[in-house]
Amino acid sequence: MTARGNFFTSDAFHGLVRNRVIIILTATLIIGATFVPGFLEFRTASLGLDRMATLGLVAIGLTVVLIAGQLDLSGGAILALSGIATIGLQAELGQIPAALVGLCVGIAAGAINGFLVVVLRINSLVATLASMLFFRALCHLITESRPISGIDPFFGLAVSRPIGGTFTGRTLIFFVLIILLHLWLTRSVAGRQLFAVGSNPASAEASGIRSRAYLFGAFVFSGTMAGVAGVIQSLSVNTGSPVFGENIVLIAIAAVVIGGTRLEGGRGSALGTLGGLLTIAALTTAMEYQSVPSYLQAIVTGVILLLLILLDRTVSGSQRRDVTLAALWRRARSSRSSRMNERTPAP
Amino acid sequence: MRKKISLVSSAAFVAAAGLVLSGCAPAADDSNGEASAEAVSICYVTAAEAHPYVTPANEAFDEAAAEAGATVTRLSQEFDVQTGTEQLNTCVGQNPDGIVLWPLDPQAYIPGLISAQDAGIPVVLINSPMDDEALEFVTSFTGPDVYDQGVMSADLIDELLGGEGNIVIIAGQAGNGTTIGRTDGFTERLEEIGSNIEVLQIVNADFDQQKALEASRDLITRFGDDLDAVYANDDTMARGFIDAWTESGRSLDDIPPITGINGQQDAFESIKAGQFHATIVQSPAEDGKLALNTIVSAARGETVEARIPIPLTIVTIDNVDDVDPAF
Repeated sequence: MTARGNFFTSDAFHGLVRNRVIIILTATLIIGATFVPGFLEFRTASLGLDRMATLGLVAIGLTVVLIAGQLDLSGGAILALSGIATIGLQAELGQIPAALVGLCVGIAAGAINGFLVVVLRINSLVATLASMLFFRALCHLITESRPISGIDPFFGLAVSRPIGGTFTGRTLIFFVLIILLHLWLTRSVAGRQLFAVGSNPASAEASGIRSRAYLFGAFVFSGTMAGVAGVIQSLSVNTGSPVFGENIVLIAIAAVVIGGTRLEGGRGSALGTLGGLLTIAALTTAMEYQSVPSYLQAIVTGVILLLLILLDRTVSGSQRRDVTLAALWRRARSSRSSRMNERTPAP
Repeated sequence: MRKKISLVSSAAFVAAAGLVLSGCAPAADDSNGEASAEAVSICYVTAAEAHPYVTPANEAFDEAAAEAGATVTRLSQEFDVQTGTEQLNTCVGQNPDGIVLWPLDPQAYIPGLISAQDAGIPVVLINSPMDDEALEFVTSFTGPDVYDQGVMSADLIDELLGGEGNIVIIAGQAGNGTTIGRTDGFTERLEEIGSNIEVLQIVNADFDQQKALEASRDLITRFGDDLDAVYANDDTMARGFIDAWTESGRSLDDIPPITGINGQQDAFESIKAGQFHATIVQSPAEDGKLALNTIVSAARGETVEARIPIPLTIVTIDNVDDVDPAF
């Protein structure tokens, strides 16, 4: 074994890879703080997080769908559709009932996706591609391809203004929801069963988990989150537009995957998604403050995505080890006392 | 094998870090340079980075900024309104001396504009119009009168066809203020003058040549020889129609005359070749320069006009040799 071979199979390297989101995020923050004046000011952070909130809501839904081993491409179209309902019905229903209708649009759209995938057994990529085209076309049809505006531009300012000098309303909503998702995925039986469904629906079914109900639920949840994002987004700009959210799903998938959730299903975490989102937000803010052209920003995001997937493969081939930060710390401490016995042989 | 992948990925990481660094470093030099006391900082939310019209406008904007001693932070929406509304908020948060916004939607930026007004930052709209409600929050709107361009195009085509015939409209991005202005100006003018010209179909091709090519294929298949003229919201999309016409195996001599907008070099050549009836020259360089100069004046506290249009020139076969193309 050469010294380098030892490093790539060592706990330290595995630890780096497993905690890569934190490392990349830290690196981004350090680079940003070095080159961008005012990068670490609270106002910059608050604005950067506000930019991330809408994307983050869509990504929360996608995290669940991806853990269940499925894909949902329709989030952007659902976002636009629920936004149009939220704004378009204000005059008839009033602002809050209209927002509730917008939310219901998201739930209903998610249920349609669930029906296509679970009942009609269409591959989720194809099913949500079709529903994406359908929902998007519906947006154009309803609005005659024109943006519509709400009755009061000041009403929605609440969600996009900092509350009490801290974060904006939508940022706070996002944080609450992603923490709830984290608790659900890690602490509840249902959350853990979702991972089983994502790994292997058939064997999950055999062990008494209602896989199909979980899959259906995942799509309804994803649609609902896109609906929430649509309501918040449209209120914040007082506009429902058929072209809103055209790129959002792919960036959200990128954030979720950067966060370590696997497209194959069965692996992932809410905190990983949070890390992925923060990384993208920090990168965007750092580069925008320096007028870096957006196509260069896309290159950086793409390279990071590829890099993480490659790193992921280097460790997923080897045996599973507990290399969370806490475990590494414990091991480092115990190996100091009994260095000879603790050493794991390289696989 | 595993080792090899590890090496590749470490190399990729170094490359990524390098990109981030090289992306940030040169710009950092600019802003850390000699920021003189009277330097004006401008935050510019542009429509896109790479586009036949927007790019020269951005370049002219930067040149004018260098001359005026203004520093520019440029954010690009890449034709995505949602990104743009968020970037506008980012701009307000940076607290610059002035903001220039390229609106892609007549309404959606209003809350951001309100924040800018609350923060006491003057805003100039470049190129594309917004609804009247938005105008009370902006200092000035510089750019072409797109509605007027639609009206001018309607007059041109009505005159060409003698008030009768079938046409199609290749429109820009749906919901975009320029698209709406150029299309509504056109159709409302036809109605106003009581023209018998029938608009068979309006397609959206997003100001993109490739999308226009695809849309035109269908239009030519459906209407083909029934078309008497074509109105395109810009010359780039008109080019797509010409491509589709050639592709369908028809002779370019039989192409229904096209009226476009922007006054691009290739449109001038098409006018000479007889494929284009007319185009309307609107200079992106003028557009960019005017917006920068206006915001610099506003940021220095000078009074500026609320509406500063850029000049428009109709180009047909009669004057194609006397006018310079816009880009």
